[in-house]
Amino acid sequence: MKSERKVLIDDNPFVDVAAYLFLEDIADKQGASGMNNYLVSLATSLAKSMPEEEYETWEEFVESLQKGESIISAFENVVMATPHCLVTTECPFQKGWEEYTKRIGSFSKIHYDVAEYYNSTVKPGAVDSQCIIHQTFRSAASERIKVAGKPVKYAQVSAISPGGNKKTAPDEWLPILLEKAGISHTMLNMIMRNNACLWILYQ
Amino acid sequence: MLDVSLVSLIQDMSEKAGVEGTIQYWARVGESLAKRMGKEAYMGWPSFNVALREGRTAFSIEGDVSALTDLAITDVDGDVVGYIYALKVCVFNPTIDRIRYSVGTLPRADRAVAEEYNNSVRDTAVCNFCVIHQRFREEVAKSIVIADQPLDCLQLANRGYSGDTKIADDSLRKIGIDPEYVRSLLRNYACVYAILMKGARLKGEEAD
Repeated sequence: MKSERKVLIDDNPFVDVAAYLFLEDIADKQGASGMNNYLVSLATSLAKSMPEEEYETWEEFVESLQKGESIISAFENVVMATPHCLVTTECPFQKGWEEYTKRIGSFSKIHYDVAEYYNSTVKPGAVDSQCIIHQTFRSAASERIKVAGKPVKYAQVSAISPGGNKKTAPDEWLPILLEKAGISHTMLNMIMRNNACLWILYQ
Repeated sequence: MLDVSLVSLIQDMSEKAGVEGTIQYWARVGESLAKRMGKEAYMGWPSFNVALREGRTAFSIEGDVSALTDLAITDVDGDVVGYIYALKVCVFNPTIDRIRYSVGTLPRADRAVAEEYNNSVRDTAVCNFCVIHQRFREEVAKSIVIADQPLDCLQLANRGYSGDTKIADDSLRKIGIDPEYVRSLLRNYACVYAILMKGARLKGEEAD
């Protein structure tokens, strides 16, 4: 199980860099909105291709999340700050991003432009194109999970990209999200000092 | 995660743009990746092979590549004009592993894209991703000079995840290497290719 977990979290620099360029190619032709559609579509299609899940209790679901057995935590290492607050220790796109910046140069501006488009038209939570994939995947994956017969809901709280840029939910949303997460604003800032992403799952 | 999500899109892309469309997309991605990596120049084959071993050339992005220096390619005058190189693990393997553990199976389009490529472009693909990285190598070769001479890259042989192999007999004949020898290399490597001086007068070509 341990080696399978590593295989899932490890990434593939060549394919990842190729994927970034594929997305840039789409943006050249269709702009940020076209790129955003592709990002949303590939993340949704990935979640839909994975098996659905059901759990008897929230505790059972939390155990599955921590072990990385649930589809929603399959590609990242998560730590549960509270039963509803998940902390991703390292961005699953980190290595691909590092390989891109090492081999190609600085991350193309379009990856940030598309995030601005996403933030203003879909949901404000993305730093770059990678966040769009990740957050859309989590949202679509959560819809495939039921706990005690009820669907699970996902909300993004804060993310720091491999490049060091940070995006936190809007001020007016934050108190509600933090209450659901069961953490204070100070705790959020403390957690985000050395982790990549903070998000919540609830019903 | 990005690679797995990209694969999940292949089926959708192939249904919308056709497998030919996916091949065109992938070829463009391979070409664009190579072009974005910039140009390289080496004094001679030894310095290129050292750069490769140390992961400094564009070819190194694919992973653990070995220069098989016992397999020099010579021209009609007996001068060394290139070498055979072998990639230990297919660049697509880690992605296939992740797909197996997360999704279960590869989309049908993976096979369909590879078959279309084999029929319409060149019979050297064992999976859809061969389209990207074979094109990538061809383009990278164009961006590198050794002793001021531009290079060419020939795909020779590869082994897929499930063990199926492709041997490029025409290219092997051109450089005068026995296909059975290259087949034996596939026991320990996933992909074998030649890098050689562009326009070199090869024995196999002269014989043709």
